[in-house]
Amino acid sequence: MSERQSSQLLPSLFDSLDEDQRITVLHLGPLLPETIGFFSGLRCRLHVNDLFAELPLSFKPGDELSVQQRISELLTFPDETRFDVCLFWDLLNYLDQEGVVALMESLRPFLAPTAMAHAFGVHNPRAPERDSRFGIVSRSEIAMRSREQKIAGYAPHSQAKLKEWLDGFEVKRSVLLAESRLELLLQTRA
Amino acid sequence: MIGPSIEIKGTVTGDEDLIIQGKVEGSIELGAHEVTVGESGKVSADITARTVRIDGEVAGDVRGNEKVVISKSGNVRGNIIAPRMTLEDGAIFKGSIDMDPGDGAAKVSLAPSASTSPSDAAPELDLKRG
Repeated sequence: MSERQSSQLLPSLFDSLDEDQRITVLHLGPLLPETIGFFSGLRCRLHVNDLFAELPLSFKPGDELSVQQRISELLTFPDETRFDVCLFWDLLNYLDQEGVVALMESLRPFLAPTAMAHAFGVHNPRAPERDSRFGIVSRSEIAMRSREQKIAGYAPHSQAKLKEWLDGFEVKRSVLLAESRLELLLQTRA
Repeated sequence: MIGPSIEIKGTVTGDEDLIIQGKVEGSIELGAHEVTVGESGKVSADITARTVRIDGEVAGDVRGNEKVVISKSGNVRGNIIAPRMTLEDGAIFKGSIDMDPGDGAAKVSLAPSASTSPSDAAPELDLKRG
């Protein structure tokens, strides 16, 4: 099933970018045709890394690698990479505190000074799971398609906890959506 | 065509289109032609061609001088450079994609739009403005 939803915060990701600038985008989820279609119209480098395929990213007794080591190995980029835009989608709802902190530690060296990010969180941690893959249709419209396989480990966090753990980003704006979900606009911490 | 039972290690070059249903390790250079990696194809090589269509597995960098297509059965780990790219739903991709629509192509405008209609959005409440 595929549907579309307008976004109040998505346009802000792109407002500060120059149309003639070559932008670097990080997409941490499965790539949808709509996203390719959108970015095909921009001068950009799109880095795609579907961390949902690596879940659960939490430490279990007996694991050889820590969560930080696993995420660090998954997120390798050329040294000169600096992301202008990061698309987390609802990944933060599937990571525990250690996972969110590890993600930030791995990304921080690769963020442009004015980097912005978009994510979905929840207003109420008991909000039901939105079992979707996400993409960008236009600068103000998001595509959502059902996941073919259910993902384990949905355990969303309050906005207060996310703000504490998102070292490197701060929440610039949040918008309450249906079913107590939140759309979050993040910017690099000054 | 490289059939399903064929395995090649080395550089593949030529002056015709190529369909790969077998295994190739090394590099594939058919800059003026079309390369298709079929559903049973497994390529561990960099590919350069006019058009590259991937229905199977590719681990390597892909340069399509005109276009790269990853179909729903395609699985690509590598970096892609192409002026145009198509990806079908269900395709698996990990890597980077360099895109440049060029001056003549339709570009996406990043400029703020005059108005954004949230009419089809879920109910919204702005909780915080920074």
